[in-house]
Formats: sequence, structure tokens, C-alpha cells
Amino acid sequence: MSAAAHAYLNTRVSIMATRLLAADRVSGLATQELSELSDRFGLGEVLDAQLPTHAKSRAVEQALIQSLLAEVNVLIRPMNAVETALVLSWARKFALFNLKALIRGKLHHLEPSAIRDHLYDLPPRLRLSNQALFRTENVLELLRELEQGPFSLIARQAREVYEQKREPFALEATIDQRYYAELMRQIMQFQGASLQPLRQLFGAVLDRVNLLWLLRFRLTYQFSPSETFYHLIPSPRLLHRERLLALVNLDSLPQVLEVLPPPLGQLMADADSIIEVQRRAGRHLVTEARQILSQSASGVARALAYLILREMDLATLLTLIQGQLLGLPVELVSAALDQAAPEAVTIH
Amino acid sequence: MKPLSKIAAARDALMPAWTGLQQRIKRLLALFGDRYDARGPRLRALPMKHLRLMLMADDLPQASLTLAETEQFHPDPRPPQQQQLGQQPGRDYQEIYQQARARLEKIARVVPIDPLPALDQVQVIAPEMLVRVNDQLGTRWEEVSRFEEIQRRLDEDERTIHEQELALENFANLNLDLGALRNKTRFLDFYIGLVPRENVNRLQGAVALADHLLFTYLQRDTTAHVIIVGPTGEKEQQLQSVLSSAGFQALEIPHSLAQQSPAELKQDFIRRRQLLDRERADCVAAIAAWNQTHAAALLEARRTLLLAEPLVMLNPTIRGTGSLAVFSGWAPAQAVAALEQQLHHSLHFPFALEVRDPTPEERSLVPTVVTTNPLLRPFATLVQQYGIPHYGEIDPTPLFALTFLLMFGMMFGDVGHGAVIALASWLARHRLQSFAYFGIAAGGSSLLFGLIFGSIFGVEDWLPALWMAPLHDPILMLKVALLWGILFIVVACGLGIYNRWISGQRQAALLAPHGAVNLLFYLGFIAGGFGLAQHGAFGLWPALIVIGSLLTLAGYQWRHLSGPTGEKLLVVFIETLDTVIVYLSNTLSFLRVSAFSMNHAALALAIFTLAEMLGSFGTLLTLIFGNLFILVLEGGIVMIQVMRLQYYEGFSRYFSGDGQAFAPLRLRA
Repeated sequence: MSAAAHAYLNTRVSIMATRLLAADRVSGLATQELSELSDRFGLGEVLDAQLPTHAKSRAVEQALIQSLLAEVNVLIRPMNAVETALVLSWARKFALFNLKALIRGKLHHLEPSAIRDHLYDLPPRLRLSNQALFRTENVLELLRELEQGPFSLIARQAREVYEQKREPFALEATIDQRYYAELMRQIMQFQGASLQPLRQLFGAVLDRVNLLWLLRFRLTYQFSPSETFYHLIPSPRLLHRERLLALVNLDSLPQVLEVLPPPLGQLMADADSIIEVQRRAGRHLVTEARQILSQSASGVARALAYLILREMDLATLLTLIQGQLLGLPVELVSAALDQAAPEAVTIH
Repeated sequence: MKPLSKIAAARDALMPAWTGLQQRIKRLLALFGDRYDARGPRLRALPMKHLRLMLMADDLPQASLTLAETEQFHPDPRPPQQQQLGQQPGRDYQEIYQQARARLEKIARVVPIDPLPALDQVQVIAPEMLVRVNDQLGTRWEEVSRFEEIQRRLDEDERTIHEQELALENFANLNLDLGALRNKTRFLDFYIGLVPRENVNRLQGAVALADHLLFTYLQRDTTAHVIIVGPTGEKEQQLQSVLSSAGFQALEIPHSLAQQSPAELKQDFIRRRQLLDRERADCVAAIAAWNQTHAAALLEARRTLLLAEPLVMLNPTIRGTGSLAVFSGWAPAQAVAALEQQLHHSLHFPFALEVRDPTPEERSLVPTVVTTNPLLRPFATLVQQYGIPHYGEIDPTPLFALTFLLMFGMMFGDVGHGAVIALASWLARHRLQSFAYFGIAAGGSSLLFGLIFGSIFGVEDWLPALWMAPLHDPILMLKVALLWGILFIVVACGLGIYNRWISGQRQAALLAPHGAVNLLFYLGFIAGGFGLAQHGAFGLWPALIVIGSLLTLAGYQWRHLSGPTGEKLLVVFIETLDTVIVYLSNTLSFLRVSAFSMNHAALALAIFTLAEMLGSFGTLLTLIFGNLFILVLEGGIVMIQVMRLQYYEGFSRYFSGDGQAFAPLRLRA
């Protein structure tokens, strides 16, 4: 990237970062009326539409995703090809949402219109070839069709796994795993000033994902250590390969939390449930992302840190609006926010 | 002879000439007229009408077919204003059609389907019939997908045999009893197989957790050959699950491996391959047999889908309530009466057709009928690279064709080269199709200008010039080009003003960039420049016109800007300066027209000079390759330069190009 493009990107990110919600502003938003929220975040048109509550909630979610992807579009303008590819790969998670919705729809033999209701409208460069995929008759055909496009690697692996196991879980786990593995592969292609902050940022993302998956797979789904390890993605930071090999052999939450390296160990001390771990790991990610946003010199790392934080903010906003649409008490919505916000950064 | 008889005789004698003249005048007027003939050259857009058809929902399939047969109806996708018309009656039909079509396309991927013969009769496809065809296609696809699966399995088996061959070759040098690896022993568990390369690292860690070891002994493309060894026991089950998650594919080790010689093994692989070939041939035969049984049904399904397509294309525009449906669209004004009559004949229930002119607000939505005149088609293609004329805009195609040919001829005027281009285009007419006319016309223009310049293959002594050779008086050539450029820019501005005026942007037509005031500035600027060249002074009136018009343009821009005063001042100053620079540079840009005509002569001169320096054979070669060089390279450059002048100096002034082409419903047979 040229110096001018780099300066432009950094300025852009700094301007956009002023939109991020500070923690104290979130609690203020929880007490605001729906009309105030819609005016403030430009959702008036969606919220004013004559739609049932579920459809309205869905439309709000769609509008928020589109606003995030519009920002992605702005941020990639000055980037070079490798940086653009990385940011688009990150944003491809929304296409994978659609892919999973299609797979679930095919598995449960849903009508095309029912499947369509669960799909996000995405810009062309992120979109799956929805029409062709819609017309497939089963999951295998769908994955074969997907193998023809940019998702070929994910689709091929997913199909091979599905052919062997015939389990939706294995299929979705493979899709998620390939998504993160591809991100890491692209990051390792970077050289120079961007490599370290990107490793730091996505290290934090993967540490969080690994910890949650490890706990769920081992303790909730009772997977064997081998199988659990196979579904994890070694992080370039705390939860690297050797540490994961050690952690998957442990059988209880306290045992796992006890041997976590600092600062995760201190952060998770006394956490008594996976939900609590999820909440604290989410906060850790926010801290890491904010640090990169404020201190890093790499434009692409700052852009991705901003997008991760922005996505969390939009998820918070969505929770608030959904709470209001359903007429839930403010306390309940605030409690849900406390639990749910970090979930925005995982594709599970 | 009486005077009256003389008059009658003179009238009779003059009558053919008069009739011919009348026809020519009519043809000229038709360029601006309303006559509906998409094949005729036309400057003004064909008048269009907005149609709104209200009918019974049961008549929708018939109405769509009728409209498709007329090929005069372009659907308007805007939803109706009325809140009550919220239903979309054709939605299910569309879903079923798309599923059926996808199924047919998937079947056609495996089984060739004959092309559909011309439709002998047009028949309405009722929803029930479409459902039936879709169900039949579903069953057919289920059958055909089995063939596809067999083909995939055969491909996979072939790949496995190949991988096995490689694996055994790899082991051949080892002093190892491979037969022992076939089965588990009492204490050891073996797996030999293939894994996607990107999974090897994770799998290595995962099998280690189950107390197994993984060795990679061969890597090819995206696959790795691995051996996994470990103790038998309770962790074996864990491993099975991981292996399937990792896409592990076991490689079978033949029973008789230990007893077979390499030659016998090779024979064994050949035998297995032959078996696969036989299976493949059987599959092909089964597909052919299946096709023989179902070919007619598939053709019928294709016909059904073709007839159902118009309603599907119309579907996004259809709204309704209860049994009433409404949709709207655009049709050429001349075609409306015939279209209404066709609907009266074909629809079973009463209907209402509302016809009105497009409102000024919806001009941008009205489609433009693009010319299909075979002579103009290649030029229309080049125009459409820039955009489709907006409804009401002048269609630039005829003007583009005329000015393109004039400029190309002047820049590449040579009897010999022009004749070669025209002849080559004629000989390649089947390959070039409509672009053959383009080549012939460009060659013809080059040939005519060659006669004017007296140049044949660059030789200027063989033919007497009708005017003069370009290098004879370069200054005169430059003056001619400059005059041509001024005329071109004035006409382009005039067309721009006309386009804006008729589309209701009257203020912009007068005051915006390339508007009337801008044209006035340009004329004043040219008059001043002429005065400066002739008498050494810009002149009072031209100066007043230039200053007045520039101030007016600046004032207009000021009114349309928002922001701080300093910023507005800066923008207006730069824009005004830009106007002066752009018009000056655009005018000078046309000097290239004469520059290239001189360049053509100079290039030919260079080739002749070079040829004279060589022996007879070398001369011949230089002349042939030199002329080829001129034809290909210079011809190509001239073409690009003419396009550049057209797009930047012409179209940017008067052609918005943001219209949409008239795309009527039609049967695609």
C-alpha cells in the first residue's frame, strides 16, 4: 500500500472509530425508546414498515449487516490485493451464515421461501450463488454445487466429512474450522509491519474461539480429546498447538481454567460456567481489539479491529431493538446484553 | 402539340424523379419521425406508452403468452400505488418454474437433450401442468443423478487405483512385508490411506492424543499419503471418528501383495482399469438407453418451460387482490392498438387496459427501442459500450456512424489500404457477421479519402489527387481538422442542449456545463481566437461574450454548491478555469485528425525509403511487411483515436447513456 493510501486508511479508521459505543453508552441506550434508537441509527424506514415482529427484527438485522458491509466496502478501497482479500475473507462469515441456513433448510426439507427468509442479502463479492444453490435437491448436491465457486475448499472438505459421517454438526464444524484456518493462512502471507498486529488480533479471536469450542466439545458434547483437538485451530498467541494438546486431555471446567496461560488464566479465575467464560473471553477480545485500534500503525489491522468492534456494537444494538420489539423489560435486555454481545464475533 | 399536352408530357417525364425525391425526403424525415421500425435508422426515440392491464388472475398465463407473441411489451417492475394490491399471484408459479428449469438443466448436464424445433402452436401452461412437469422432472433427475453418481464413483475409483499404484511404487524399494499391513495384529493397529494435505498437521496431533503415530510418506497435489500406527485398544474407536472428520480415505492393500511380482501387480492394475472402463461404457450405454426412453418427454418438458417462461418473466410486476391481477409495462405507441386487439382475441375474461403517456418524472424508467438495422448494428454495438440512449434522447448511432467513417477515412485515407480492409471484411463476412459491414464501410471511407488524397499503398504518384496529398500543405490540413473539431463540438453541444430541453431540464439546458451559455462562451472564444489569429486582437464583442458567459456559468455553479464560502469560491474558480481549458484542449484534440493523415503518408514514405536501401527481394519483403504494419498497427491506432474523439469529445457532451434497452417479453424459441 502506498504511503498516501495508508494514511487515508488510517484516517478513515480513526474517523469511523468515533462511532464505536463506549461501555457506559450501552447502558444509556438500553433505556432509550425504540423511536430514539431508530432515529439515532438511521433505522426509521425499517422499523416504520408494516411487518410482523419477527420479520421486522429480521429486517433490522439485515439493515445492520448491510451497514457493516458498506463500511467494509469503504475500508477496502485503499487496500492492496492481499489486504482486501483478508478483509473480505473476514466478512465472508455472513455468506457462511447463509450457507448454514441453506444446509439446515435442505436437511429439514424446508420450502425455498422458508429458507429464503433466513438468508442475508449480501453484496455480490460476498454472495453465494444463491439461486443455483436453492435449486439443489439435497445437502450433497448443494455442496457439490458450491465446489464450483470461491468456497470450493470449504465445500470440498465439508462434503467429504458429510459423506463419511452424515452429521450436520460435523459439517458445520468443518465449515467454521475452515473459515478460521483460511483467515490464519492469509495472515501468515503478510510481511512487515502488519504481520505482528494481525497475529495479535486474530490470536485473540482464536484464543476465544478455541477456549469456547474446547469447553463445549469436551464438556457439553463429551467428545474425545482427539476429536476435540481436531476441530480446534491452533492460535498464534496463547492457545497454540502444544497447549491445546494438553488442554483437551482435561475433563472439567476448573481443571481447564486452572492451567490457562496468563492473562486468560487470571481473567477466567472463578468462572463457574461456560457462559461466564464466554462473557469474559469476549471482554478480553474487546480489550485486545481496542488496543490494536489505538496503538497499532498497521492500517489493515486497525481496520479489522474496528470491524470486529463495530460488529459487536451492532449486535448490541440488535439485542436492544429486539428487546424493545418484543416488549421485554429493560433489566432483562441489559442482562441479555451482558451475556450475548461477545457472541457476535464467532460464526457459530 | 398543344401546350396542355406539353405540360402533361413534361409532368410524366418528371414524375419518376419527383417520386424518388419524395421518397428521399420521407426517409430523411423518418429519422426524426414516429414510424415504428426498429430496423430503420432513427435519431429520435420511438414514442412509448405506459400500459396497465387489469384482468382475472386465471387469464394471466394466456395474457403473458399473447404479450410474448407480440414482442411489444416491456414489463414495468414498479409496485402499484394501491395498498389493496398487495398479493403476488404468480409467486408459486415462478417457484415451480425455476425448480423445474433447474432440474432440466441438471438433467441436460448428464443426458444431451435435443434442441427444441420451432413451436408449431402456442399453448397456455396452466399451473397444474407446470406442477406435473416439475414432478416428472424431479423423478427424472433422481434417476439421472444416479448415473452422475456412478460416473463420480468411477472417477474416484480411478483416482484411488492411481494413488495405490503410487503408494506401492513408493514401498517397492523398502524391504517390507506390505501384506502384514493389511490386517491388524494382536497389538498393533494400522491405517494406510489418503488425507487432504491441509488436514495432516491437525490429524497428527489428534492421533497422538489417541496414542497413535502418523507418518507422511508421499505428498501429491492436495493429497497426502499417510500411515497411522498405534496400539489396539479402547482409543481405536476415538480414532475412527477423527479419521472420518479429517476426510481420511483408506487405501486397500491387495490380499496377494506379498506373493505378487511387480509385473503381476502391474497386470493387476491394468485389469482393474479395464474393469472400470467396462463399467464406464456400461454407464454410457445405460444413459443412452434411458435417453431413448425419455427423450420425447424431456423435449416436451423443455417446450412446456419455454411456454411458461413469459409468465415467469412477467411475474415480478404482477400484483393482485382476490381473483383480480394487475401488471404494467411499456410498449411502442404504434403497437398498442394491435396489442389490445390481440388481447381481446385471446383472453377468456373481460379485462381493462389503461394507456397513457409517460410522465416527466418517469422518463428515466421508459425503455428505449435500440436500432436493429443491420447496417447500423456494429455502430450501435460501439455506442452501447458507452450506454443506452435515455428515452427522449437523440440516438447517436446514425451520427456516430457518419462521423466515425468521415474521421477514419480522413486519418487513414488510402485507396489500397482501404480496399484491402473492405475486401478482407467481405471475405470474412461469415465470421465477422454484422461487423463485416463496419469493416467494409471503414475500408470504403478510407478508399474514398485515398482518392481525395491521391494515395494508393502510400504511393502518391500513381493516382491524381482529387484535392491534394496531406503532406502537400500540412497547415491547411491542420486548419481543416480544427474547423471539423469546432463543428463537431458545436453540434455535440447543440444535441446536449436539445436532450436536456426535451427531458424537462430546461434550466440545465441553458446554464449547466455544455448548455446554451457554455456554447455561447465557446463561440465567443472561437471568434476571439480567430480575431487573434487574423488581426492580432481578441476583439471587444468576443471578450464580452466570453466574460459574460463565464460569469453566468460561475453564478449557476455557485447556486448549486453547498459548503463554506471559501470552499465554494475555490470550487467555482477551478470549475470555470476548467471550462476554458477543457474547451480549448478539446478543440485542439481534433488536430489529431489531420496529424494522422500526415502520419499515414510519412509512414509510407519511411517504408519506401527503407525498401530502396535493400536489394530486390528485401524491397519486396519490406513493402509487404511495411504495408501490413501500416494496416494493422496504424489502422488499429486510428480506430482507437476515433473512438476516443467520439466518446470524450462527443458523447460526454450530449449522451447520458443511462437509459435502458427495450426488452420485450418474447418466446425464446
